[in-house]
Amino acid sequence: MAYGYAGKILLVDLTAKTTSTIDTAKYAEFGGGVGIGAAIFWDLAVAPGDWDLQDAFDPRNVISLMSGPLAATGVPGGGRTSVCAIAPETFPTPLFHRTSFGGRFATMLKLAGWDGVVVRGKADRPVWINIIDDKVVIEDAKALWGMNTYETQGQISTMVAGRTRFGDEWHQAGDAYTTARPQIVCIGPVGESATRVAALIHGSGVSARTGGFGGVFGSKNLKAISVLGTGSIKVADPKAIVDTRIWHAQNFSRGAAPGTAACMPCVNNDRRRDSFHGGESMCADEYWFMGERMKGAEVAMKWGICTWATKFGGAMEVNMPNAAAPFKGKVPMEPGMGWYIKYLYELGVLGPGKKIDSHPLPMDQWDKLVFREVFCDAIARRIGIGADLAEGILEAAKKWGRLEEDLNSGALRLPAYGASWHHSLPGVDWAYGYIFMSGDPMWHGFFSLSGGGGFGGPATYTAEELVEMMAAKVVPFNGDPLMFSNCWKGEEARKTGVYSEHKAKMVAWARHYAGFYNESMSICEMMLPSFIGRSADGIAGPSPDLEYRYYRAVMGDKKTFADTMETGRKIWNMERAIRVMAGRHRDHEQFAPFMYMPGATFAMGGSKPVYQDGKWSFENQNDLYLDREGVEAFKTHFYKLEGWDPATGWPTRKTLEGLGMKKIADVMASKGKLGS
Amino acid sequence: MAESEKTERKNRKVLRREFLAGGALTAGALACTSVTAAAALASPQQQTSLEPSKGYLVYDSRLCLGCQSCMFACSMTHEGEANPSLSRIQIIRDAPSFTKYPYDIVMSVCRQCVSPLCVQNCPTGACHVDAANGNVRRIDQSKCIGCQRCIESCPQRPHRTIWNHLTGKSTKCDLCVDAPYWSQKGGPSGKQACVETCTAKALKLVAEAPSQQDIDGYDINLAPARRPMPKMAPKPAATGG
Ligand code: SF4
Ligand code: SF4
Repeated sequence: MAYGYAGKILLVDLTAKTTSTIDTAKYAEFGGGVGIGAAIFWDLAVAPGDWDLQDAFDPRNVISLMSGPLAATGVPGGGRTSVCAIAPETFPTPLFHRTSFGGRFATMLKLAGWDGVVVRGKADRPVWINIIDDKVVIEDAKALWGMNTYETQGQISTMVAGRTRFGDEWHQAGDAYTTARPQIVCIGPVGESATRVAALIHGSGVSARTGGFGGVFGSKNLKAISVLGTGSIKVADPKAIVDTRIWHAQNFSRGAAPGTAACMPCVNNDRRRDSFHGGESMCADEYWFMGERMKGAEVAMKWGICTWATKFGGAMEVNMPNAAAPFKGKVPMEPGMGWYIKYLYELGVLGPGKKIDSHPLPMDQWDKLVFREVFCDAIARRIGIGADLAEGILEAAKKWGRLEEDLNSGALRLPAYGASWHHSLPGVDWAYGYIFMSGDPMWHGFFSLSGGGGFGGPATYTAEELVEMMAAKVVPFNGDPLMFSNCWKGEEARKTGVYSEHKAKMVAWARHYAGFYNESMSICEMMLPSFIGRSADGIAGPSPDLEYRYYRAVMGDKKTFADTMETGRKIWNMERAIRVMAGRHRDHEQFAPFMYMPGATFAMGGSKPVYQDGKWSFENQNDLYLDREGVEAFKTHFYKLEGWDPATGWPTRKTLEGLGMKKIADVMASKGKLGS
Repeated sequence: MAESEKTERKNRKVLRREFLAGGALTAGALACTSVTAAAALASPQQQTSLEPSKGYLVYDSRLCLGCQSCMFACSMTHEGEANPSLSRIQIIRDAPSFTKYPYDIVMSVCRQCVSPLCVQNCPTGACHVDAANGNVRRIDQSKCIGCQRCIESCPQRPHRTIWNHLTGKSTKCDLCVDAPYWSQKGGPSGKQACVETCTAKALKLVAEAPSQQDIDGYDINLAPARRPMPKMAPKPAATGG
């Protein structure tokens, strides 16, 4: 097997209670992570043609947890676990979705000799999967069912590797000797009852939060997967990995710190968060709970709820001019289900005995920990209003007759498919990611591109310097600085700005890059790409040379950077093919109404490069909102650039065959789903 | 050091239970050592038989992120492949990391003991003091017979000598004297892969022998006085933004 890979993928059929092995080499053309996960999904769930891909809880749903070839090699941030399947969380129908989580699961999986775990079918009673190196056992989870995620992991850890006492950390595992403990991903009670808002939880503070994949585990009666590995991963050039890492850390502080081998446990790091244990997900989860902060976030982690969908608000508020009176100027930047309940409560339509009965939620204690406990319990056991909330926020709003009004006003500030707002604007690449995928792209790649906005400080360069530097980096679309213009007004927006064919290249580059480097090589997207340097040496960040150097050091193959981007394009088309087979059409790729109205944007300060009247400048875009016709024009540019039929958004045979995907094209043609 | 910090460090010492032999070793483990752990407590002045190492790895277990980068760097540079079980530095986190900071991480680093029981108890001389390389305590793989005496006699818990289950021999930290998969020069006068890779700067090489009495000599405060903000390039004449 090629360097970087463990060489095999574990396939677990829960209906038949069997395990088998897939040869990774068969799928190596898709890189790893989501690339391989999507290709396996195609083969097991789409190609047989016996399933319409509509119900995420159907036993035929195939969920994969995949590592990338850079995991367990010492490449910092390279140890994320990519997850993909039909996701229950999206609205109005479940969609093919991808997400990922950090921590140490993927690394341990590789050390155990597996590039991924793929689960299909449904067990007839609760089970968990116990992997110790080559040994895989489907274990009875009767005693674990109903336990929270911390208890579950504690129990499994003890069952697999005994109790740890200080000093006694070395223990036997198979033939080897290790200090490692098993790494576990599991669900809590919210996932067990197959709700649409459950997360997969790993450790104390790491989770796969978007998509509601906890419910997929629950629907399969799968409580947890545990893995303990003691093997090695072989790489092409060990020296280059260590050298590159040191060069990375010494020259580009932001991209490297804290920088880890198992994963980057977040820019907020994995320790010392108010002296609480924490993890990458905890930073977002913090404002699920506002005042109670980390203590509250632990509640979410333990119940295994998807905090992104159920957020209670955010620190910053926006002015939604159409919001109901008491909330003018006070809609949180990234509101979710928790905040929406409060909104309806204050409007007087939700409460004890009201039109929308809030039973059993103690609305007068909305900001207290006890409310969060009851909230999770009600959803997990579908008690009272919990039964509506378990189906997701837009499904609940629809049932309550509020969907249209609140999507219009932005009280339901969810740009597309019911996915929570997350830097959707400005920097339209993020927003376009929502509609072409299945919600939040969770990709901070161009975030630094705000020319001083976002996480950046004040601009230390001119807009022109910035876009030229960027344009040189984005192979194969390099040499077109207009890709980075954020002009959104008038004719210029269509010619060179956010609705232009130039912007289509930027969005395509982002998808191809992310598809390969972040989602398949599984490098943390908060770490790389890093385009803007933070050193006094200049403005250029280490990307994309750095990630390519890591890739070469591990894999040692002959691929150029452009070749890796082409693999990214192939992965993107694989995902597209699945989405099309599940019903995706150009007509579905729409934003919620509030995105076309003033108030759509929330910017964290700073400004964006804009090209207008032959000149570059930085522009504050806090007032940006989209134009329907402009978005339609953009879609046409984008589909054409990708080689998809502009009428339907479906890939053409030429495009797929050009990528070596003839078999995919044949299946699509047989269902009349090929673009022309 | 502030009083509160002193108290916390003292508490940590007790809670972490990262003890020396005597309090910690089981009778069985002691029985197989010919030089007892008490000797390890002897001061450098009392121990004249072996030359002290010219380098010591010290660390700050409160600064460590638990990322295990050092472990991957160690096994990568020494063995040419990533295998945490073979890393000569072990960073151990309770698995689902539920233990409260700072007790959630144990940093297991070889102390290059002034009186190294691993050396003293090796029956073949494989585990030796390398005079040519700053007196680093090293294991000569060609002489190691895999008897595990060095592992049994290391007074630290968890033990710092490493069992390589693939070769059936012991290894230990050599301060990168022999790291064939690294482009830098190691040893007490050179660099160490773990120190260089640690972005938290939780590891450091020092020349003076730390106190051998307890963990405080090795697990020390390495935090910078104040964390400096990243330096920004000077702002050029702006035409926009
Ligand atoms: S590299 Fe540094 S921060 Fe990471 S585990 Fe090792 S000592 Fe801790
Ligand atoms: S292996 Fe143990 S006894 Fe030997 S030098 Fe290291 S800490 Fe001391």
